[in-house]
Amino acid sequence: MFSLFFENFRISIGSVFANKTRSILTALGIVIGVLSVTLMGTLISGLDRSFENSMSWLGKDILHISRYEWFSDMEWWEVKNRPRLRSEYVEKIRQRSKYALAVSPVMQRGASLAYKDKETQTEIFGTNEDYMETISTNIEQGRFFTETEDISGSRVTIIGHGIKEAFFEGDNPIGQYIKIDNVKFKVIGVLEKQGKFLGFFSVDKQAVLPLGAFNRIFSKRGWMRLSVKVPEDKVSEGLDEISGIMRQLRRLKPSEKSDFSINQTKAFESQYNTLKFAIGGTGFFITLLSLIVGGIGIMNIMFVTVKERTKEIGVRKAIGATNGMILSQFLMEAVTICLVAGLVGLMIAYISSIFINKIFPSTLPIGLSIFSIVMSIFVGVVSGFIPAYKASKLDPIDSLRYE
Amino acid sequence: MSLINLNDIYKIYNVGGEEVRALDGVDITINSNEYLAIMGPSGSGKSTMMNMIGCLDTPSSGIYMFEGEEVHIMDDAQLASIRNRKIGFVFQTFNLLPKASALQNVEIPLVYANIKKEKRIKMASKALKDVGLEDRMYHKPNELSGGQRQRVAIARALVNQPSIILADEPTGNLDSKSGHEIMGIFDDLHSQGNTIILVTHEDVIAQHAKRTIRLFDGKITDDTKRK
Repeated sequence: MFSLFFENFRISIGSVFANKTRSILTALGIVIGVLSVTLMGTLISGLDRSFENSMSWLGKDILHISRYEWFSDMEWWEVKNRPRLRSEYVEKIRQRSKYALAVSPVMQRGASLAYKDKETQTEIFGTNEDYMETISTNIEQGRFFTETEDISGSRVTIIGHGIKEAFFEGDNPIGQYIKIDNVKFKVIGVLEKQGKFLGFFSVDKQAVLPLGAFNRIFSKRGWMRLSVKVPEDKVSEGLDEISGIMRQLRRLKPSEKSDFSINQTKAFESQYNTLKFAIGGTGFFITLLSLIVGGIGIMNIMFVTVKERTKEIGVRKAIGATNGMILSQFLMEAVTICLVAGLVGLMIAYISSIFINKIFPSTLPIGLSIFSIVMSIFVGVVSGFIPAYKASKLDPIDSLRYE
Repeated sequence: MSLINLNDIYKIYNVGGEEVRALDGVDITINSNEYLAIMGPSGSGKSTMMNMIGCLDTPSSGIYMFEGEEVHIMDDAQLASIRNRKIGFVFQTFNLLPKASALQNVEIPLVYANIKKEKRIKMASKALKDVGLEDRMYHKPNELSGGQRQRVAIARALVNQPSIILADEPTGNLDSKSGHEIMGIFDDLHSQGNTIILVTHEDVIAQHAKRTIRLFDGKITDDTKRK
C-alpha cells in the first residue's frame, strides 16, 4: 500500500504542476483562507503583547480612584457634578487603610517643555514620593524626589526617556535645567524606556514633578486621581476597604450612591477582550468563507479533472486498479492542491509577519500555523471526496470507450 | 488443463425497454498457449466477448472459470485483482498515459500489484527490452512512433507475466509495416509459451492465430483450428 501512496503522490504533484494556471486559480481560496487565519493570529498575538505591556504600566494591583469610570456610559455632566478628589485624602487613606501599600495623587495636564532651543508639547504629572510604587517603570538614571522636596515645593523633575533623547541626546541630563511652561525645573532623574500605551501615546514623553510645585505653579484646578497600590493577592479586599474609606470621607449615607469610581485594569481587560473577540470573529468569518469558496472551487476542478481523465481511469482499471485505488488517487490530488495552497499561504503569512513585526511587535503563532495546514488538508479531503468517489465508480468498459 | 472455460454465457442488455442479447449462450474452452482470434462484424458481440474474457464485465448468466477461479460471481475488487494478475490488455488506441515515460507506463500494473520500486523498475525495463525498446525507456508517448507506442503497451501487458494477453484490434491504428512488426511480436510471444487472444475484423491479422472463432448475433458460428 505504501508504494501506491507514493505513486499517487507523484501523480498528484505531476498533475498539479501540469495544470499550473488552473491549480493556482483553484487554490487561491485556500491560500487566502490560510493567510487570513494566520495573519489574524499574528495580529492578536501582537495586540496581546502590547496590551500586556500597557497593563503592566497601569498595574494590576493598582486601584485608580477618580471622578469618572473607565469605559462607562456615564453622562459628562454627571461626572462633572461629582466632587473633586482632594490631596488631603492621601493622608487619610494611608492612616485608615491596612491594605494600601502606597497612595499617590496624580494631577495631569498638558504643558510645553523646553531646553535651550528645543521645545515639545507633552503631558506633565504632579504627584508625591509614592508615585514610583504605583507605576511599573523604574528610574534609569538619577533619583526620584523626596517627601521634603514635595512639601517644600522644590522645582525638580523626573523626565521620561523620550524627553532625554529629544533634549540631551548623548549628554547627561542630571543637574540640567529645563523649562516647563517657562518655569525652570532641575532634572534629577530619568525614567526607563516604556513604549506606547495601547499604541496611542508615548509614556516616554512625560515629566513628573512634585505635587507641591505643580499646585503652586500650575493652579490647583484640574483633574486629580488617586492611585493606591494594594497587595496583588488582596485586590478585591483592598477595593472594598478603599471604597468604604472613600464613602466615610465623603460622608455618604448607606442609601446614597458613591460619587466616585474606583478603576482597575480589569476594565481594560474586558474592553480588550471584546475587541479581541471582534477581530477574531471577523477573521474567523473571512477564513470560513474563503475556505468554503475555495473548497467549492476545488470540488469543481476535480469534477473537471475526473471528466477529462475518464479514459485514463478506464485504462487504470483495466490493468488492475481497484475502486479504492482510483478513489485514493483523486482524493490525494485534491489534498495535494490544498496542501500546497496551504503551505504557500503560510509562507506568505510568515514573510508578512516578519515585516509586520518591524512595525508592530508580533509573532506568527506556531500552533495556529499547524492548525491552518491541518485545515487545508481537511478541506482537500472534504471537497475531493465526491469527485474521487465518482471516479472510482466509473464503469471500466464505458470509460475505455470514452473519447 | 483448460485455462478459460465459458459455459452457457448470456449477456443481456435492456436498451429502451428492448432486450438485446449481446452474448446468447456462448460455450468455449481456451487452453494454455493457444493463439486465438475472435472475429465478427460489428454488433456481433465481439467486444462484449472480449470484455467478458478480460474480466471487465460479468455475465448475466452462465459460468466463467479462469484457472479454477469463478469469475462470474466476483465483485469489482476481485475482478480488478484478477485483471491485474492474469490478464494483459493491448488496445487499438494504445491507451498509454501521456505524461508518463515508457518506463513509468509499464510500471503501472506493478504499482497496483504493490511491488517495490526497485523491483518494479527492473521488471519494467526487462519487459521493454523484450519488445525491443531498451533505448526508448525514458521517452514520453508523444516522442514515440505508433508502432513503438504499441510495443510499450505490449510491454505493459506482459510485465506482470499474465496468463493471457488480450489484444483488441492491436494493429487498427498502425500502418501496415508497423502492424506487421507488432504481429511479429505476438507470434514470438506465442512461441515462447504465452496464451494470446486477438480480437479483429481483419482476416490478415486473424491468419496469425492458430484458432479462429466467429461470432454472429451473440452466438459462435464457427470455430476453426489450424496447424
